[in-house]
Amino acid sequence: MSYPILSTVIFLPLAGALVIFLIKRSNESLIKWTALVLSLLTFAVSLPLFTGFDKTTADMQFRETYQWVPSWGINYALGVDGISVLFVLLSTLLTVLCVTVSWNSIKDRTKEFFAALLLIEGSMVGVFCSLDLFLFYIFWEAMLIPMYLLIGVWGGPNRVYAAIKFFLYTLVGSLLMLIGIIVLYFNTGRSFDVLQMMTTNYPYHLQLLLFWAFFAAFAVKVPMFPVHTWLPDAHTEAPTAGSVILAGILIKMGAYGFLRFSMPILPEASREMAPLMMVLSVIGIIYGGLICLGQTDIKRLIAYSSVSHMGFVTLGIFALNIQGVQGGILQMINHGIVTGALFLSIGIIYDRTHTRQIADYGGVATVLPVYAAFFMVFTLSSIGLPGTNGFVGEFLILLGGFTASNVLGVFAATGIIIGAAYMLWLYQRVFFLDVNPKVRSYKDMNLREVLTLLPLLLLVLWIGIYPNTFLSFMDASVQHLVQRVNTAGQPQMAQQIIEVIR
Amino acid sequence: MNSADFIALLPLIVPALASVVLLLLITFSRSHAVSVLFTLGSLLLSFLLLFVAGGGTPRRVTPLFIMDAYSLFFIGLLFIAGIVVAVMSSRYLGERSMERGEYYVLLLLATLGASVLAAGSHFASFFAGLEILSVSLYTLIAYRRNDDRGNEAGLKYLILAAASSSFLLFGMALVYAQTGSMDFFQLAEGGRVPDLTVVLSAGLLLITVGVGFKLAVVPFHLWTPDVYEGAPAPVAAFIATSSKGAIFALLMRYFSLMDLQRFPAVWYGIAGIAVASMLIGNLLALRQNNLKRILAYSSIAHMGYLLVAVLAGGTVAKTAVGYYLAAYFATMLGAFGVIAFLSGEEGDAENLEAYRGMAWSRPWTAGVFVAMLLSLAGIPLTAGFIGKFYVVAAGAGAALWIPLIVLVAGSTIGLYYYLRIVAVLYGRVPEGEGGAVTGFPGRVLGMTGGILLTVLTFALLWLGVYPAPLIRILQATVARLVP
Amino acid sequence: MVPLEWYIGLSTVLFVIGVVGFLIRRNILIMLMSIELMLNSVNISLVAFSHYLQDLRGQVLVFFIITVAAAEAAIGLAILISLFRNKEAVHTDEMTEMKG
Repeated sequence: MSYPILSTVIFLPLAGALVIFLIKRSNESLIKWTALVLSLLTFAVSLPLFTGFDKTTADMQFRETYQWVPSWGINYALGVDGISVLFVLLSTLLTVLCVTVSWNSIKDRTKEFFAALLLIEGSMVGVFCSLDLFLFYIFWEAMLIPMYLLIGVWGGPNRVYAAIKFFLYTLVGSLLMLIGIIVLYFNTGRSFDVLQMMTTNYPYHLQLLLFWAFFAAFAVKVPMFPVHTWLPDAHTEAPTAGSVILAGILIKMGAYGFLRFSMPILPEASREMAPLMMVLSVIGIIYGGLICLGQTDIKRLIAYSSVSHMGFVTLGIFALNIQGVQGGILQMINHGIVTGALFLSIGIIYDRTHTRQIADYGGVATVLPVYAAFFMVFTLSSIGLPGTNGFVGEFLILLGGFTASNVLGVFAATGIIIGAAYMLWLYQRVFFLDVNPKVRSYKDMNLREVLTLLPLLLLVLWIGIYPNTFLSFMDASVQHLVQRVNTAGQPQMAQQIIEVIR
Repeated sequence: MNSADFIALLPLIVPALASVVLLLLITFSRSHAVSVLFTLGSLLLSFLLLFVAGGGTPRRVTPLFIMDAYSLFFIGLLFIAGIVVAVMSSRYLGERSMERGEYYVLLLLATLGASVLAAGSHFASFFAGLEILSVSLYTLIAYRRNDDRGNEAGLKYLILAAASSSFLLFGMALVYAQTGSMDFFQLAEGGRVPDLTVVLSAGLLLITVGVGFKLAVVPFHLWTPDVYEGAPAPVAAFIATSSKGAIFALLMRYFSLMDLQRFPAVWYGIAGIAVASMLIGNLLALRQNNLKRILAYSSIAHMGYLLVAVLAGGTVAKTAVGYYLAAYFATMLGAFGVIAFLSGEEGDAENLEAYRGMAWSRPWTAGVFVAMLLSLAGIPLTAGFIGKFYVVAAGAGAALWIPLIVLVAGSTIGLYYYLRIVAVLYGRVPEGEGGAVTGFPGRVLGMTGGILLTVLTFALLWLGVYPAPLIRILQATVARLVP
Repeated sequence: MVPLEWYIGLSTVLFVIGVVGFLIRRNILIMLMSIELMLNSVNISLVAFSHYLQDLRGQVLVFFIITVAAAEAAIGLAILISLFRNKEAVHTDEMTEMKG
């Protein structure tokens, strides 16, 4: 590939946002079409990442490096490996779907909405591609502003509260991480280069402090158990596209941060802290699930289910073995697809009924059969039924979890049962039972809506039936990562013994 | 004083002469345009003369002044701020029926006083610069003679500034008694500063009190919100930027010469002030509904952030202060600029609720304002972020963990009220009054306002996205402050 | 000859009287007078130090201070008159336009 793919994927949407901003406000259809064409174009541009990716190496690929602030040693450095490449693709895909699902539901300030959406896309991709911590931090924070506006302007009744809460939570964590980044910078010989940090061994006490600094930022984003309270508010109040982006991509950044920065840069601290992280994850799994059982608002229920599902992801990641980490990454993709799809589906019915209360539904399957079928598949995938993508991910995570700790594995498995309970119960209350007179008059999904959900449905089945397409991307990178975490800081002798055992 | 001294001092002589000439000029012609153009011209000339003066640096001009790269940088910054404030004022005054010429005389004098501070290297020039600045400001704050709030603000500022000056002077007298010198460089000469004595520490603390008042740091901040509210918006911009920036430049020089680390009592005093300013400044801003007051409290917090860099000391800290001040100047001038240009005859556009929904009727004006607010909050891609990054880097380099944690807490609290303003800007106009978006009821920015604010916004983004050039300038100027 | 300590003592006492007056009185005119007292106590100490150190710089600074004090008093009274015309008040308690 001769042209800089990653830069294009980042800056095409940003340029698109600018173009949209220059279009006259009254010309709504042009705005929408511009947004759609640009997001499709970005997706198309990102496809070579899928086809041209070399799966045999753990090295960074599609790299670009330019000097940015030489006196600080800051570079504009991009690159993807097996861990990040799929997230880039997921981001570009979900953005297209966000544009189509918002086609008719955003009635006022269309221009600003689509501009904000494209801005978010550009910075999301930037987060996943950055190989320079400074650059990473810029993208990480820059994304907050359009996201804040997305929730705060187009959200539900309580939007300003939710938006500010979201921003504040994230910012506290980010600022602590910023301090961590700067400390890391001084200890890496004044460099922000991530790859260099991955091969440097820092003293243990420093690693521990840095781990908590990074934890503050990533745990809020994931969100892990004690700092999850922003998520239900933000998800519930955000417009559909906002929820999809939040659930699909944004909260993956936290887990991605653990994988990309905490673990390879601070291997010893990660190893030491892993049991604690796993306990927090399991608390999140069970707590999130139990809260779901008590929800009366569909969106809020799905939001809390995210807490539970992301608990699985972090559990897998901190199991620190190949199955666990692979499962964690795959489950992030899965969760992005499935929860994204669930939010899209809720958005589709919300456009008709304008209510999110479960009590206002009932018997929807009789009135909107096609819609019910789609929702069924996503529900089953969320539960982790074999044949869907959810199964593969959760299976691998449990495998990794049990390898690391039997007790935690058992508790996590309980979480799956709770998950099945609340999802199926939700499905029953919304789609079966007596037909609620409020929903009787509504039409089934139109072609635009079917086309929005179809790609995700296909992905659910594809990953469920033949996960190897996607797992093969991460094999080499995950192996490299797990080895780095488990061997770093140990005496030469121990390393050789491990080699021999292998 | 020979010709080389004269050339080095030209950037200070020109505004001094210009203010006298302008005073004579307005007795012949009271044309507003002439006053504005003359002021802008003289400030611009002084700015250009900095490059001429730069040829002979560093140069000690009498014991009072030191013209080195450090002072030239800050004087340049102050002149730019003076030009921006003058442009702001021209529109602000142009629409009000009051005496106009004297305003520019005072503005020139205030800028001169600030520049004297930046170049000062002696207690006498310190005091003289400070008073030229303050006395001009008293009048500028109370410039709207028929406005009760303006008079009240002016008087409050005067009373408290005069009291703080006496603290400062008492501190100077004590230091003088102990060291027998008023010259910063002589104070710095190792042997002349005796081992720590109670009197010397007391003197330094009293100086810190006096300076703390001017910087409006907690606990000497009580005047700030009232003065910002009562002063005309351009004057408030000047107080927030030039007045504080000049003091800061002097403080940096003084403390780096005295080697702050050797006086633990003073060091901890400043640390306490920094921590208190970051927390209290931000907390008090939370409940305000007046934009000028919010900006006042925000400026208190920003001075706290800056003090963290002073505590750190060292080359990185100096560059950090330089960058932060440049970013802070651009941001504060922009934020007050929006208020100044939207203000009408009946009063300043300071009520937050009046801005509700402005983003939909005036996307660019609101966009500029949001950019300024985000920069104040230190969000990436704005100059404020790089500034904060620099300060955090300086702090982390010196292992100042507690101030840094407070900085994080303060920034988070700060973000809340900045976001509140953004939420109002992007909020929905209450239904019922005309139904759809009726938009901001105030005035338009106008040509000068549009150009000025666009330039400031671009400067802000440029500094935020591509900071390398300014860093290079800072490394060639501010960072070379000896020792 | 009077020892230096006495001057320091005198000026400190005067300064403290000024500070106390400034803090507890609410009449602007008295507050301005208190400030004047504080400045003049500094003048006493500067002259004393100057004489003690056999160094003229302290006395030069005294002239700076006297000049500035005069300017400050002039402007302070001017603003006070302008305020008095509008409000007929010289007490800080009556200046309550701005709060918060």
